[in-house]
Amino acid sequence: MYLVQHFYKQHEKALKLELLAGASGLKRRITKAEVQGPGLSLAGYTKGFASSRMLVIGRQEMEYLRELDAATRKSRLASILSSTTPAIIVAKGCASPKELLVLAEECGISVFKAGFGATDLIRHITFLLLEEFSPSMTLHGTLVEVFGVGVLIQGESSVGKSEAALGLIERGHRLISDDVVRVKKREGASLIGCGPELTRHLMEIRGIGIINVAHLYGAVCVRPNKSIDLVVKLEEWNDQHFYDRVGLDEKFIDILGISVPYHVLPVKPGRDVVLLLETIALNDRLKNMGYNSAKEFNAKLLETISRRQKKRIHHEARM
Amino acid sequence: MKLVCKVKVKNALGLHTRPAAAIVRLLQPHKSNVMFTYRDETINARSIMSILMLAAKKNSQITITIEGDDAETTMTHIVRAFEEEFGEK
Repeated sequence: MYLVQHFYKQHEKALKLELLAGASGLKRRITKAEVQGPGLSLAGYTKGFASSRMLVIGRQEMEYLRELDAATRKSRLASILSSTTPAIIVAKGCASPKELLVLAEECGISVFKAGFGATDLIRHITFLLLEEFSPSMTLHGTLVEVFGVGVLIQGESSVGKSEAALGLIERGHRLISDDVVRVKKREGASLIGCGPELTRHLMEIRGIGIINVAHLYGAVCVRPNKSIDLVVKLEEWNDQHFYDRVGLDEKFIDILGISVPYHVLPVKPGRDVVLLLETIALNDRLKNMGYNSAKEFNAKLLETISRRQKKRIHHEARM
Repeated sequence: MKLVCKVKVKNALGLHTRPAAAIVRLLQPHKSNVMFTYRDETINARSIMSILMLAAKKNSQITITIEGDDAETTMTHIVRAFEEEFGEK
């Protein structure tokens, strides 16, 4: 449940919020990632007015309210306030009418003054709320940044995810989170992973215990969040399983409705997992640059074969 | 087989590092998949970091979901560990 007080606490500094009235409204729920300027509704037309949106009152609305007589002003303001209105935010440089503050106290709706104009506020708040309400989930895995690529390492417990991540950190790559990754869908198109605040930058290595990577290796080897660009599943080598030998068919895994490139990496003594993870990340970068080694080679091979075939036909025709 | 059971954290300090290590240790010989759900968060109980992340205090209720061939014995062991307060008081 996302309450007005959470919003206030999180964004007080960024939006320069100041509580003017209605402290009891801090317990109200924000249910939608929507913000609205009450414009037309203040003029008396309230048909279709969505009362559960957060309201941003700007300069023009305030000027309009000032021109009304006190009684009309009060009734118009009362018409836009409901039991589901989360909060009211007044834009920078606008003096709030007394009626608004009194009504807010009566109805128990928080009124804030902000440090931005109405247009900026609507944009900022919509973005912040969309972020808050975006679908999210917790995954078991380790998220590392390798050559700028966000790699989520998954696999059964004790297959060596943390050890692989430690090896990557030692080679100058970065840890985002070990074991637990909170994933959020951003703008419906990409995935962002971060670690829970409590266990951020901590790793559990069997035989050593819990270590703080940021303290051991320095701030350069950690980062707070990163997009998830590919998923690598580590698994014990299974002789019965046929592992991808050419890389022509790309596999994908679905996370929150987004397809992410997926690799299965078998682990056995003698295979340098860290080096293999680096190679997968680099190959992914190369693919994103438009070069697919496997496809490029296959195209070349097909061309050679067809050339040979033509030569042969030509040769047979001459005979 | 899938088993679901709700348990209460009884020890005074909650699920801190030692109980988390105890849970992971007792799960080691068992094969089943064990998940804990607390405050809408579902985590793999074989991972110490995941259990620590929950920061479950005394009296918090945890839903244990076990799936696998030895679900029953695993559940008995884990519920007993919670009951015995992981050897703490």
